[in-house]
Amino acid sequence: MTPSFSLAVTGSGGAGVMTAGQLLLDAAALAGRYGLMARSFGPQIRGGEAAALLRLADRPVESPDDRYDLLVALDWGNIERFADELPLAADALVVADPGHGAVPAVIAAQTGRLIEVPLTALAREIPGGRPNMVALGLTACLAGLPAAAVETRVRRALARHGTDSVTAAIACLDAGRQAAAAHRRARLPVSGDESTADPTTALDRWVLNGNEATGFGALAAGVRFCAAYPITPATEILEWLAGRLPSVGGRLVQAEDELASINMCIGAAYGGVPALTATSGPGLSLMIESLGLAVAAEIPLVVANVMRGGPSTGIPTKSEQTDLNIAVYGLHGEAPHVVVAPTGIADCAPTAAWAVTLAEALQTPVILLSDQALGQTRTIADPPATALPAARRTAFVPGPTDPPTAYRRYAHTPDGVSPMSCPGMPGGQYTADGLTHTTSGVPSTRAEDHVGQLDKRRRKLEHHDYGARWGEVHGDGALAIITWGSATHPAREACDRAAADGLSVRLIALRLLSPLPVAQLEAALAGVRACMIVEHSHTGQFYRHLRAWAELPRPTLAWHRPGPLPLRPGEILEALHHLQAQQEVAA
Amino acid sequence: MNATVVLRPKDYKSATKPVWCPGCGDFGVLNALTKALAGLALAPERVAVVSGIGCSSRLPAYTSVYGFHGVHGRALPVATGLAVARPDLTVIATGGDGDGFSIGGNHFLHACRRNARLTYLVMDNAVYGMTKGQASPTSAADWAGSKLTPDGPGIAPFRPLEIALSAGAGFIARGFSGDPNGLARLLAEAIEYPGFAFLQVLSPCITYRPEQLEYKALVSAGFEPLADRNAAFRRLLTDDGFTTGLLYRAPVSAGGSAPAPADLTDETATLAELAGEFTAARLRGAADHES
Amino acid sequence: MSPEVHAGASVALFLAHAVTLEEEAAERYDELADTMAVHHNDVEALFRRMAGYSRLHRDEALGRAQAEGDVLPTLRPWEFAWPSPESPESAALADTHYLMDAHQALSLALTAERQAQAFYQQVADTSHDARVRELAGEFAEEEAEHARLLEEWLTRHPPSAAAALDDLDPPVAVD
Repeated sequence: MTPSFSLAVTGSGGAGVMTAGQLLLDAAALAGRYGLMARSFGPQIRGGEAAALLRLADRPVESPDDRYDLLVALDWGNIERFADELPLAADALVVADPGHGAVPAVIAAQTGRLIEVPLTALAREIPGGRPNMVALGLTACLAGLPAAAVETRVRRALARHGTDSVTAAIACLDAGRQAAAAHRRARLPVSGDESTADPTTALDRWVLNGNEATGFGALAAGVRFCAAYPITPATEILEWLAGRLPSVGGRLVQAEDELASINMCIGAAYGGVPALTATSGPGLSLMIESLGLAVAAEIPLVVANVMRGGPSTGIPTKSEQTDLNIAVYGLHGEAPHVVVAPTGIADCAPTAAWAVTLAEALQTPVILLSDQALGQTRTIADPPATALPAARRTAFVPGPTDPPTAYRRYAHTPDGVSPMSCPGMPGGQYTADGLTHTTSGVPSTRAEDHVGQLDKRRRKLEHHDYGARWGEVHGDGALAIITWGSATHPAREACDRAAADGLSVRLIALRLLSPLPVAQLEAALAGVRACMIVEHSHTGQFYRHLRAWAELPRPTLAWHRPGPLPLRPGEILEALHHLQAQQEVAA
Repeated sequence: MNATVVLRPKDYKSATKPVWCPGCGDFGVLNALTKALAGLALAPERVAVVSGIGCSSRLPAYTSVYGFHGVHGRALPVATGLAVARPDLTVIATGGDGDGFSIGGNHFLHACRRNARLTYLVMDNAVYGMTKGQASPTSAADWAGSKLTPDGPGIAPFRPLEIALSAGAGFIARGFSGDPNGLARLLAEAIEYPGFAFLQVLSPCITYRPEQLEYKALVSAGFEPLADRNAAFRRLLTDDGFTTGLLYRAPVSAGGSAPAPADLTDETATLAELAGEFTAARLRGAADHES
Repeated sequence: MSPEVHAGASVALFLAHAVTLEEEAAERYDELADTMAVHHNDVEALFRRMAGYSRLHRDEALGRAQAEGDVLPTLRPWEFAWPSPESPESAALADTHYLMDAHQALSLALTAERQAQAFYQQVADTSHDARVRELAGEFAEEEAEHARLLEEWLTRHPPSAAAALDDLDPPVAVD
């Protein structure tokens, strides 16, 4: 069980809620804490209701908690719209600005502990003062963060605005801290002001969201081309790469649509340059036809698909794991490709790097299934313990005695992977083709060629050694959870809590979703009596996918629900206890 | 390849025999392309021809250069990705009027705007040949030759040159498949243009539009190269659709802002430096670091 | 090759044209043979023979160049001065059909040979260079001889009953 402190800062857009939240998380990092921050927005581009949702802890934490210990409201604009995203603990503290009216019933009904702090009035007393900085000082104090860490962070962040801004902000922080003083120990934070963290190690930690981590992982593995069409919640991957690719000699092109972006990536990858694009469900739908082309023509590339609520435009700012079916089964014809998913925010970097290496090694598209909860939640994490994998493509090397026309791009090989030439290599000329083709790439309708190439492409995936990255296994209980993606951390925390209750639960989180690593999964399930499949979907896509390929224990319970509300450990723990009770009845 | 070997046009052809109908204009385009490549003495391995789907999109396989035969309508994005990632190559996108102006129409507009260094050669026969002769974007509104639109498509034909000019293309020309040498010269100029070059080629379909065999009597080499965009617009007001030659060649400086091509040797940042952006240490100021 | 340009052509430039004329004629016949093969039309064999003849004539032209001691200039395809869009002995692609018969194939070839003859004759009539006039005259006579052979050949291949190009099968959808 992770001792932690969860808090929400809410207000209308423009009030600086997100800035305060991010500075708070940054200060926590400087203070040696771990933590995460999610964002919740209304649909307005500017000025909508907004909430910064933080959880701070002394150990790595990537799951939201069940309830919030503290709610700081700069104002109450439209709070009803996302009140169900803000479940408060029974003893939660609500800090409200009396200048913005009475506490709405939807909040007041959840807790009786309310303190009023005139955030706006306090800020007004300071020349250039802002309520969000008062709220930051107050919140940091209530969360037990050292004032020095907050001040350091704020000085740095505001330095470019000049000394007056910094002076005003520091005064606001002080005012907020003093206002909180009376309630200083109202709720015990995870630890006191004096963090025991090793400051050197703490300063090496990464503060990033999953989208940035995805961009970094891809670049580290060798991606040097990106074609981009913006879409929420994937755009940060593209923006991160846009800023960095040129510094490693790569390029990003903004495309006219997703049909273009995927095909630009195909063009670059055909040219020998590892390529990635990022999108979300609607964009993935548009890319699907060309992903089939990449399978048939054997072009390596990665699509980072950051899932959001669907179908159609759905809820672009909220998370769901509901593009699994289209990612695995959406291509027409029979088109073997790879689908992988990170098991957490920090894991986005190594898993994105792995996706690139798989694409390049197998000369086929890889879909990396991230989601809004991973992509847009910022976390404090330990940097990767090992170097990220680097991609390598099996390249064509002309034999000294080969005639110029000897090259067979799609030659049958034992592992299905054929050496790939790219333009510029003398003697490597061929025409990559989406039509069924011979081993030389010449279009063919012969059964021998069709079946031969289908076999070859399937063989590539079947013969590959996916190594230890296929998934994570934690614990050895006779009850097991199988999960993936952003459901992993809430499920893992549910397992930890179950262990604290004396119930040992094994957690299996898959990174490799397709081809499903059946042997590894079944080995990981050895000794499991009952199993629960946990996912963030309405119809249990992951459950059905597992059922289609693997022998699962009986009983296996499918536990899933859709977004927009995030998965929380408590509801998974409850389901676990339910499963355990059923088991006892059955016994 | 030995640099002293002079390559002839036929050296740019592959051993694969075209499936095109005898009499198809696309043979002339293939011959013009191989003549252009030979005329420019380009090494076959440094040239890539990218196409979509359709009769004319079969062309890459008939060459001895690198080829890419993709999905319907997407030749331009594939070619753009290749051209930006590999600026050392000569990249030529090809296809038909349906591929380029209908299903791929959006890419055509934005390729004209984007001005990446590549040549786009559209073999225009105003018909979908591979799906049995339906009306294409360049078919006349009253062309009633297809069962799909028995009274004609009923919509005004797409005007490729006007649209290319409007969308910002810097090199716009029209050629005729029946004049392979003239077309080769136009193509060579297009290939050497340091930006996006668009070339519409009238290429008759003997099977579904046999009346197009009369094109040879209709075409005339009437375009004189213009460097002024306004003048090019004015010239198109009296275009009969059969005038060939180079219509417009923007001074290089007037071209759009082509994406800077990749330079994979140009690494100024290390991975460690990029990872450093994520560290908590970055969140405090340098001054704090010293204190 | 406009008469003005041509009239001043050197022997080497003239022979470069002659070699390319025959080379392109051979390649065109091969191209036609290939496309007939793809469409299962046995006039393929006839075009293949014509390609062989053209290749022989190209070698003859190359032999003349050697005999003249000339190094032929290397011209880019569009730098040749032909009186027509293609070199004159290139059989017209547009005048082919997948159901064409031997009579039509030979007629196509006859047209090409006559165009070649006309080209050489024009050079022979207009060149300022005596040696060019002499060579062009010889070549024109050779082409005339080829044309006569083709005319004779045509009499052995009268138009076939199917030559109306009645197409019994409609075209099919491919992609």
